[in-house]
Amino acid sequence: MTSIPAASAAIEIRAVRKLFGSGAEAVHAFGPSDLSIAPGEFISLLGPSGCGKSTLMLMIAGLLEITDGEILVDGDVVDAPRTDVGIMFQDSTLVPWRSVRGNVELQLELRGLDVAACRERIDDLLRSVHLDGFEDRALWELSGGMQQRAALCQAIVHEPGTLLLDEPLGKLDAMTRERIRTDLQDLWMRRRPTVVFVTHSIEEAIQLSTKICVITPRPGLIDHVIDIDLPWPRGLDARRGEGFVSHLARIQEIFHGYGVL
Amino acid sequence: MAAVTSVSPVAAGARWLARWWSRSWLFLLFFAAFFVAWEVLVDALEVPRYILPKPSTIVIKSSADLDRLVYYTWVTGTETVLGYAVAIVLAVPLGLAIAFSRFLRQTIYPFFVSIEMTPKIAFAPLFISWLGFGLLPKVIIVFLVCFFPIVLNAILAFGSLSEELTRFCRATGAGAWRSFVKVRLPAAMPQCFVGFKYAAINATVGATIAEFIGSDEGLGFYIQIVTGNMRPDLAFAGIFFLTVLGLAVFGLVTLAERLLIPWHISVRRAAS
Repeated sequence: MTSIPAASAAIEIRAVRKLFGSGAEAVHAFGPSDLSIAPGEFISLLGPSGCGKSTLMLMIAGLLEITDGEILVDGDVVDAPRTDVGIMFQDSTLVPWRSVRGNVELQLELRGLDVAACRERIDDLLRSVHLDGFEDRALWELSGGMQQRAALCQAIVHEPGTLLLDEPLGKLDAMTRERIRTDLQDLWMRRRPTVVFVTHSIEEAIQLSTKICVITPRPGLIDHVIDIDLPWPRGLDARRGEGFVSHLARIQEIFHGYGVL
Repeated sequence: MAAVTSVSPVAAGARWLARWWSRSWLFLLFFAAFFVAWEVLVDALEVPRYILPKPSTIVIKSSADLDRLVYYTWVTGTETVLGYAVAIVLAVPLGLAIAFSRFLRQTIYPFFVSIEMTPKIAFAPLFISWLGFGLLPKVIIVFLVCFFPIVLNAILAFGSLSEELTRFCRATGAGAWRSFVKVRLPAAMPQCFVGFKYAAINATVGATIAEFIGSDEGLGFYIQIVTGNMRPDLAFAGIFFLTVLGLAVFGLVTLAERLLIPWHISVRRAAS
């Protein structure tokens, strides 16, 4: 990878709360919670379905209004969609009328960037996730795992310093998840963006993260922030290590306490 | 892939024909069986010719009237295509406007939904009494029949971009025009074509009934006149030409769909 990423950003979450609807009908989805994310950290938001982790991610991106509190990215209050982050949404944003390469280019075209000048960057990126040779394929010719890799390329081709990933591996089979997890870790170690990673897999969170935010079910509150002080890189064998297993046991204990495990 | 270029066009054509045949022979056989059964049953049951003629009689008798049939197909075809084209040209931009304007959605949209429930053909006698027997009232009837399904599907098409893609566009900072051209418009095409195809099926219906009600040329006029003269053989010939016209219009829309949205699942299914 020849290109240099934009500086990683710090994220500050201050007493953020989110209600959907208003009055007596309002649904309390998240917070109030605080969180500090240092530049270059890989933070997982870990919790059961419907705990508001995606909601928090969308608020960081400026795509969802914050009811109370504030979020700062690099010292700026988020009050509009942030265009300097890379987002992988829960549902795919790949469009069927474009090839793999075309979908990656869509991110650049929508930003008004010169696609021809980025040709080499796109090639490098697709190669780094093993999609070389599939650049001109239509989406329906790809497996689910390949589509997710293409979606990852689309989300990061503009080289953002911050990545917001909403269950990017959620719909994949266990073996494919494993492989893409490794790719994701490689990518993070090479470029060191700040990553906010939404997941409901405890093992995935431990393997990838510098810190895990354990979120309670309904309303979502950041209940524990756990430092994962295991050595890098963390491959399959790391998951058999003592440290890994004790983190796993502790987090399972916490979820057991919530009644979700 | 390289092998394809070395094959002569004749061989490529033969292969295409073979593929077409393997896909279509069953359908062609069924079609042939239908007409043979018709031919045989009319004789076997001794159905009088003025009630239901045999297919062979229809072909022989109507060939004498071929010039008139072809000319009337042209007349009805012109009414159909003009009304249909005007409907698309007006309905798609209007559907787009309604999808994005709260005001239009609260005013003109419920109005359109109510009118969609009205059989448009009921307006035909009025238009003919206002505008006479010429081309214009027929074009207006075809337009009315086609306009509402196209506009309602266009509203649905432009108003139902997934939340994910909407957010994706916003997160890139793209302006309304760029998001529209690169994402909204292509995403809306499949649903628009649902309207186009539905309208294409009904376009010839509108033209035919408008001609029944008041005209002095066209296939609808022809069918009415020859039926009055106890010539069901010629009426069937008129129906055959209407079918060809309908298939041609629908075929053109389907071709446009294939060219414009080859990526859509409905097109890919049809091609395989």
